[in-house]
Amino acid sequence: MSLVTDLEGVLGRERVFSDPLRRHIYGKDSGVKRGDPTVVVLPESTDEVVAVVRIAARHDIPVIPRGAGTGLASGIIPIGPAVMVVLTKMNHIIEIDAESATAWVEPGVVNVDLSTTTASFGLHFAPDPSSQTVSTIGGNVATGAGGPHCLAEGTTVGHVLAVELVTGDGDVVVMGSEAPDPIGLDLRAVVVGSEGTLGIVTKVLVKLTPNPQAIRTALAAFERIDDAAAAVSEIIAHGIVPAALEMIDHEMAVAIENFLHAGLPTQAGGLLLTDVSGHAASVDAELDAVEQIMRDNDAFEIRTATDEKLRADLWRGRKSAFGAVAQMAPDYYLQDTAVPRTRLVEVTGQVYEIAHRYGLKMMNVFHAGDGNLHPMMAFDASEKGTLERVERASEEMLKVCVDAGGTLSGEHGIGLEKRDLMPLIYTDVDLHAQRQVKAAFDPSNRANPGKILPLERP
Amino acid sequence: MTSLAVVRKRLGGLMAEPAPGAPTGGVTVAPSTAEEAADVLRTAGELGLTVLPWGGGTHQGYGGRVEPAIVLSTRNLLGVDWQPDDLTVTVGAGVTVADLEDRLGTGGQTAVLPEQAATVGGVVAAGVSSYRRLRYGPTRDRVLGLTLVTGDGRIVKGRGKVVKNVAGYDLPRLVTGALGRLGLITEVTLKLWPVPASIVTVQVDQLESGDWYRPLAVLERDGHGTVVLGGHPDAIRSDAPTHARGAVWPAPITDAVRFEVRVPARHTRAAIGRIPDGWHYLAQFGVGAITVGMDTTDVDAVLELRRWTESIGGSLVVAAGGPPIEPWGTPPPSLGIQQRIVDAFDPQGIMAAGRLPGGL
Repeated sequence: MSLVTDLEGVLGRERVFSDPLRRHIYGKDSGVKRGDPTVVVLPESTDEVVAVVRIAARHDIPVIPRGAGTGLASGIIPIGPAVMVVLTKMNHIIEIDAESATAWVEPGVVNVDLSTTTASFGLHFAPDPSSQTVSTIGGNVATGAGGPHCLAEGTTVGHVLAVELVTGDGDVVVMGSEAPDPIGLDLRAVVVGSEGTLGIVTKVLVKLTPNPQAIRTALAAFERIDDAAAAVSEIIAHGIVPAALEMIDHEMAVAIENFLHAGLPTQAGGLLLTDVSGHAASVDAELDAVEQIMRDNDAFEIRTATDEKLRADLWRGRKSAFGAVAQMAPDYYLQDTAVPRTRLVEVTGQVYEIAHRYGLKMMNVFHAGDGNLHPMMAFDASEKGTLERVERASEEMLKVCVDAGGTLSGEHGIGLEKRDLMPLIYTDVDLHAQRQVKAAFDPSNRANPGKILPLERP
Repeated sequence: MTSLAVVRKRLGGLMAEPAPGAPTGGVTVAPSTAEEAADVLRTAGELGLTVLPWGGGTHQGYGGRVEPAIVLSTRNLLGVDWQPDDLTVTVGAGVTVADLEDRLGTGGQTAVLPEQAATVGGVVAAGVSSYRRLRYGPTRDRVLGLTLVTGDGRIVKGRGKVVKNVAGYDLPRLVTGALGRLGLITEVTLKLWPVPASIVTVQVDQLESGDWYRPLAVLERDGHGTVVLGGHPDAIRSDAPTHARGAVWPAPITDAVRFEVRVPARHTRAAIGRIPDGWHYLAQFGVGAITVGMDTTDVDAVLELRRWTESIGGSLVVAAGGPPIEPWGTPPPSLGIQQRIVDAFDPQGIMAAGRLPGGL
C-alpha cells in the first residue's frame, strides 16, 4: 500500500494532504527557504503520532514535526522526501497545577494562550518570543525560544521540566520529571533546542512563573548608541537585572516611526526600553535607579509608565519592529546572533559596515541585556541576485560575531540556514560528539534529518 | 610491567599525592590542561584501566563507591576568567567553590554555587544546586558552556561563553549531573547573578503561614523553618520587619548515612510527614528536595519511603554512607538512549562504569 493510503488509514482522508497547495503552504517556515514535503498530516494524539512515525519508518521516509511555522532558521524545510507532522491540532492544556506552578500541555498550544489561561492563578510561561501570539509551545521547545523577558527568567530550557518524545522508531519516552533533579542523564535539556531532530515532542511539562507584583517601564532616548550601551552595562553593574532590557537603533526607530507614527524620538542614535518588575514596595525605587543611570549616560528624554495601558504604548514600537520592516520591502531577513554584552556596540558597527558594503538596507533591535542582536535586512527577493547578497552579507555578519566571542544563534536555532556555518564555532571533534548524541536518540536518522549538523563529507 | 607501572612511566610528570578521602588502591594523576587529561584517558583506555574523576570528594557518594585504578584529580585545573560586565565566569574544574564565590563577591556577584560543596567541577559533575535555586534555578541552568574530555580522550567543547546560545545540542546540560560517566569536565563557563542589595534571614515556626515574595530559599530542618529573602531593602522591610542580616543557613545534615528525597514541590510537607521519628531532615520548600540523615540503617523504612516517593513521580537517591539498597531506585524510561550516549562517549567503559541509574 502507498504511504498516503497507510496514513489515511489511521487519520482519515481529512487529516492527510498530498495536494500541491498544502505541500506548498506547509513546505516553508518564516525563513527564506522552501521545501516540498511528500505528505502533510495533522495528528490529534500521541497514539496517532506514533502510528504516523511507524508508517513512515515502514516506508523508510523521515518525519518532520512542525508547529505554527514561525521559525526563522528553516528548521522544518524538508531536504528530501518527508512526512510533515503538523502538531497544531494537539493544542490542549492538559492540566494546570497552580500549587506546584506547573502545567502539562500539548505541543500545539499557542504560547500566549498558555499565559492567558494561567493568569487567573497569578502565573505565566516566561519565554515570550516576538511570535508568541502565533508560535506554539512545541515550536518554542524545538528552538529553545527566548524573548525580551528572558533576561531575568532565562530561555525555554529553564521552563521545561519534562517532555514526552516519540522517537524516530516510534517509541514513546518521557524525559524529566516534576520532581527536581530527575535521576540519570538530563535528556530533557538535550531535546529542548534540538529542532525536531531527536523525535517528535507530544507533551510538555512547563514550569510557570509567578506574575510580578508590579511592573514599571521606561523608554529612554540617547544621542549616541554607545551611550545607550554604556547605560545597559551600568544597569547590570549596579546589580539590577531588569525583567527586559531592549535596544532599538536609529535606523529601526525611524522605520518604526514611519510605520506607526507613535511619536518615537527619531533623532535618537539609540533607544532603550526596559521593564523593571518585582515587589510592589521596591519597584519605584528600582525604576528611579535605572532612570538615574540613563540620565548619567546622557539620555536626553525618558518616558516612564506605571499602568498597563501606558506600558503597552511604550512597548508598541518594539513589538511593531518586524511589521515596520516587513512594509519597507517585499522580503526581510532577520538575523539572530549573540555576543558578550560588552561587545554589542563594536559588533553593531561592523555589522553596519558589512550591510553598507553589500548595499543592503538594515536596522537593528537587540535584547541588549543578553547581548542578543537581531539585524534585519529589508529587500526584494525577486531582484536577481539580491537574496544571495543578503545571504553572503549575513554570513559575514555571523563571522564578525563569532570573532567577538559570540555564537551563531541566541534563540532562533540553526536549522538548515546556519547548518553549514557550524564549523565556525565547533571543531570536527565537537561536531562528531553532537552527531553521537543525535544517533543515540535517533539511530535510524528518521527525525528531521539534515538539520543543525553539517552533512558528513563522504 | 604491570599496567599501573606503565601508567607511572608514561604519565610520571602528572603523578600526584592521593586526594584526601579518595580511593587509594591505584594511582593519582593531576593534569593541568585538557590535553594532559586527554593523554591520561587515552593511556587508561589503551591499558583497560578504570578512572574516577575527583574534585573535593564531597559528592562521591552518589551511585555507590567506585574503586578505580586511576584517580583523576582536578586540583591543577585552576584558571579563572571573570567577565563582570558580561555576568559570566570561565573556571577550571578544580577551582574551589569558596575561592570563586569569595572572588565574585568582591564585585557583588555570585555563581549561586551550593552552600556545601568543594570544587566547581564537582558541583557541575554531580549536578548539585544551591538552596537559592528556588529563586535562581538549579546549577544546570547556569552552565553556559564547558570542555569535556571524553572517556576515549577526545577534547569536546559544548556551547560557549555567551548567556544565550542555541547553537547545537545542549552538551553542557547533558554533562551536568552525569557524575563523570561521560568524561572529565576540565573547564566550565557559568552565568552569574548580582548579589541582592539586601539579604536577610527569618526564622519561623510555621512555614506555611508566611507570604514571601520570591524568596531565595524556604527551608525546614527538623521542624524549624528558615526563610532567606533577597532583594531591594524596601521590599525586605515590607515583608520581614524582624530579621537577621545575611543568609543564616541551617546546619547541614551530617549523618554518616544520607539520602535525598525528590518529590514534586507540592508534596514536600507530605514527604516530611513520612520521615520516621529520630531521623534528621533538611527540606527545600518550593523545590521538593529533602536531604535525610540517619545513624542506623533501617533498610525497610528507606525502601518504604522510596516506594511512596516513586509512586508520586519522584525518587529517593542515596547520597552518602551507602545503606545496602540500590542507590537510585527504579531507572528512568529513557535508559536505552542513555546507554547509547554513555557507550559513545566512553566506548571502553572506563569512566566509573555502573555508577549511573540502571547500572550504566
